[in-house]
Amino acid sequence: MTQTQKELIHNDCETVTSGLISRLDSLKNERILITGGTGFMGTWLTELVAFLNDNHNFNVQLYLLSTHSHSYAERAPHLARRPDITLIERDIRNLTNIPEDVSWIIHAAATPDSRAHASDPLRTVDVIVEGTNAILEYAARLPDVEKILNISSGQIYGAQPRDLKGIPETFIGGLDCSAFNAAYPESKRIAETICSIHRNQQRLPIVNARPFAFIGPYQGLDRPWAINNFIRDALLGGPIRILGDGQTVRSYMYPSDMAWWLLNILVQGKVGTSYNVGSPEAITLQELAEKIAGQFPKPPKIISGLSKDKALKISKFVPAVDLAINSLDLKITTNLDTAIKRTILWNQMAIQ
Amino acid sequence: MKKILIHDVTLRDGNHAISHKITKNQIAIYAAAADAAGVPIVEVGHGNGLGASSLQVGESAINDETMLRIAKENLPHSKLAIHVIPGFATIEKDLIRAIDIGVDVVRVASHCTETDITQRHINYVRDRGKEAYGALMMSHMASKETLVDECQKMESYGAEGVIIFDSAGAYLPNQVTDRITELKNNLNIPVGFHAHNNLGLGIANSLAAAEAGASIIDGSARGFGAGAGNAQLEVLDAVLEKMGYITDINFYKLLDAADIAEKELLKEIPRIDSLSIISGISGVFSGFSKPVERISKEYNVDPRDVFFELGRRQVVAGQEDIIIDVVSKLALQKRVSNV
Repeated sequence: MTQTQKELIHNDCETVTSGLISRLDSLKNERILITGGTGFMGTWLTELVAFLNDNHNFNVQLYLLSTHSHSYAERAPHLARRPDITLIERDIRNLTNIPEDVSWIIHAAATPDSRAHASDPLRTVDVIVEGTNAILEYAARLPDVEKILNISSGQIYGAQPRDLKGIPETFIGGLDCSAFNAAYPESKRIAETICSIHRNQQRLPIVNARPFAFIGPYQGLDRPWAINNFIRDALLGGPIRILGDGQTVRSYMYPSDMAWWLLNILVQGKVGTSYNVGSPEAITLQELAEKIAGQFPKPPKIISGLSKDKALKISKFVPAVDLAINSLDLKITTNLDTAIKRTILWNQMAIQ
Repeated sequence: MKKILIHDVTLRDGNHAISHKITKNQIAIYAAAADAAGVPIVEVGHGNGLGASSLQVGESAINDETMLRIAKENLPHSKLAIHVIPGFATIEKDLIRAIDIGVDVVRVASHCTETDITQRHINYVRDRGKEAYGALMMSHMASKETLVDECQKMESYGAEGVIIFDSAGAYLPNQVTDRITELKNNLNIPVGFHAHNNLGLGIANSLAAAEAGASIIDGSARGFGAGAGNAQLEVLDAVLEKMGYITDINFYKLLDAADIAEKELLKEIPRIDSLSIISGISGVFSGFSKPVERISKEYNVDPRDVFFELGRRQVVAGQEDIIIDVVSKLALQKRVSNV
């Protein structure tokens, strides 16, 4: 990782925390366990905590639990080598010898990669359901647990009606439990139910976050999502290829905002409440492809696999985030244009 | 008017018909002719695809690298495509080099119920910025619902289209309509069809697919392909245009290319011989015809019985070694019944 990349992350953390640091004061001198700690979300949370430790004397000790600790040192050596970070290589379903001085937990273990869900749905279900149970049973044994943030998913709402501008947390929705891609959202739903049971029966202080879509540094361009693929296609010289007809609607949040929101939900979120985390700025994939192409001196061509009149399923995945904005005083600091610019820049630096 | 993307499989599926013995000169001549006709995508390689040359399914006369280099040199406009079955082809050993040579389109294939094995290959192709399609072989063996499940997996892996293969030439037009319609109703990516002509329905089934919404159709010059051959490309182009579809192919030059194929590539024009019909009716991969014929003759067994037994066992491409097992069992039964 280059110095310029590190500076980019540092600047992002500075922007998102500017003037608001005291909101997280209750994390000072605390121990936080992040499951799935070396993934995209965990890495950004770690960057933000490291920033708080380095620049604002938070003195937080992080435990990052993951099955991929061995490759983390290669991907993020500047984090892996820090004395305030402890890597724990463990399967979330088999928690043994986990530190007991933890007082905050962020449960983010489970891949959101749809390819893994399609190829190995039973493992997907197992990791989410058994993993959630295991971490909460562990939490119930801790002497002093302040708060647990369960990372759920915006996918638990099922299909978003086309005329619904953004999905609010109150949307009941509905999933087709027999659909080929049902394993992940259904498991995330049952994971929220498991959290609710533990909250009721064990009085565990659990709050849920429901993430939508993100784009930014640390997100591999090989991940199976449209925006990643568009940026990759463009970096390869194009054309940008849209699967489907381009009318699919999405929104993307920049990860420093994501990490800030998650820490705020952890600290300030009301126990038993679920908060959407994402951007309400909706965009069609056609518009998104044009936006990305426009970032290059020679804009790559954009091609679509289907004609518009033949499009059968137009999907939409955009959150309403009024609850987080109004009750937790959160905001979006990085808009989509800037997010795309910074992601391209980050990846160009990585390629170089 | 609806556009149909034609994939010309002459130099790949046709390789089955000559036991994978296509030569450098044949590739060069036909590729240049197809390119001149404006055929958008030309597929080249061993009949079973990249990395498949082997004693088990037949050894190529020339290696993959040579085939692809020659083809690329003669395809200044058309895209160069390959057929890839994970297992035969690995990413490290085969795919990296193929893309380095200049392959533009990769069709990652698996048996129709085994698409899980295509994920890594599709990912790799997309990562290299090339076009990745999913191909489901022997699709007649799965229900339309199963095909939807499998195609949705491929879509989730990043396939930019899916093509169902009638590898045994077993479909009737209404079955094609049924399956393509179901796929169109459940996928967000283009759907395609690859015909074999065992029951004389290669063109009819391709038209049924197009009418049901398929936008990718395979064909080969003079139908040059495994078993009774594929949908005959020049006929396909003619009838598609007549029905109002656009293929962007120069028809006269396509006819010229077909004439060249007949002269330079084909030992004999594909025809629907008795074994091809049996292959279609029994639902056994067309590429089995030659080895079944050869081994049956050797053991003095009726090859039609062999096909029906293979069909009963639901064999798939790549299981050619089962032929000898079936033939020897039938030969033994014959001897016992004669005693």
